[in-house]
Amino acid sequence: MDMAGSSFIYVTYIRAPQQTVWDALTKQEFQKMYWFGGHQESDWKAGSPWKMYMPAHGLTDSGEIVESDPPNRVVIKWRNEFRPQLKEEGYSRCVMELATEDDLTKLSITHTMDKENSQLVQAVSGGWPRILSSLKTFLETGAAHPDTRGAAEQKK
Amino acid sequence: MMGNTHMNDSFVYVTYIYTTPQKVWDAITKPEFAHLYWMHTNVSDWKKGSRWEHRHGDGSGKVLIDGTVLESDPPRRLVITWTRPDHSQAPSRVTFDIADYSGGLVCLTVTHDQLAHDQAMASSIAGGWPKVLSNLKSLLETGRAENIWLTKNKEG
Repeated sequence: MDMAGSSFIYVTYIRAPQQTVWDALTKQEFQKMYWFGGHQESDWKAGSPWKMYMPAHGLTDSGEIVESDPPNRVVIKWRNEFRPQLKEEGYSRCVMELATEDDLTKLSITHTMDKENSQLVQAVSGGWPRILSSLKTFLETGAAHPDTRGAAEQKK
Repeated sequence: MMGNTHMNDSFVYVTYIYTTPQKVWDAITKPEFAHLYWMHTNVSDWKKGSRWEHRHGDGSGKVLIDGTVLESDPPRRLVITWTRPDHSQAPSRVTFDIADYSGGLVCLTVTHDQLAHDQAMASSIAGGWPKVLSNLKSLLETGRAENIWLTKNKEG
């Protein structure tokens, strides 16, 4: 681990097949169910562009797929696009790793920035636990947490 | 876990659970409840200054960890020391903060700190807390938990 940087690490275990967790992370129709109504555009192949959109802000983050090994691992070069002080920090690196352990899928998120006290890492440190808690609930019960669903979903 | 220069001094895990603060408190402090998802039990009268023991759930009652209750404010906050039973290392400290969150969720924050002197324990708990707390969330939301310390894939 680079001691001069900032990092956020989160591990969760989800009772769902690994392919299902991969699809929930990478397919727009699933993302909209638990990612605050947002979605990501990418074909998830190494070298391809990656963009995240949120209903209230439009484009919020963008970058590139650095590595991709479905349904095991993806690495995203990730920059914030809508908060100037975060955009100024440049690109972070987000590694998502999936592994099957018995009836569970172990999902590990490592989000790092080569900069001490990164505001982007601080921001995602608040967001990831809400998103991943809701993803787990969504896959285990069929319904995500109300506060992380999209506006259209919340009105139902 | 978020950190800069001293990555292994502390471990923080945040999870959001559809439940009540009292159920989270009971799940941590009642032996028969903890046994369902932690596989082990936590035994104490949970009063400030009292001893607590983390006992093996196999019926042997073997003490795996012990310590002292530093703060107890049911069902909101519990602070305990966390000591190897042979007392070969100085204790670390675990804080459970249990807060109401929007949408009928409880935000549970587990902070395990004062670990700098015991890197073996820091490594062990960084693997253990995500398993225990993921299983706790599953139990409270779906009524079902897994035997998290038996991994068929790894140990046969």
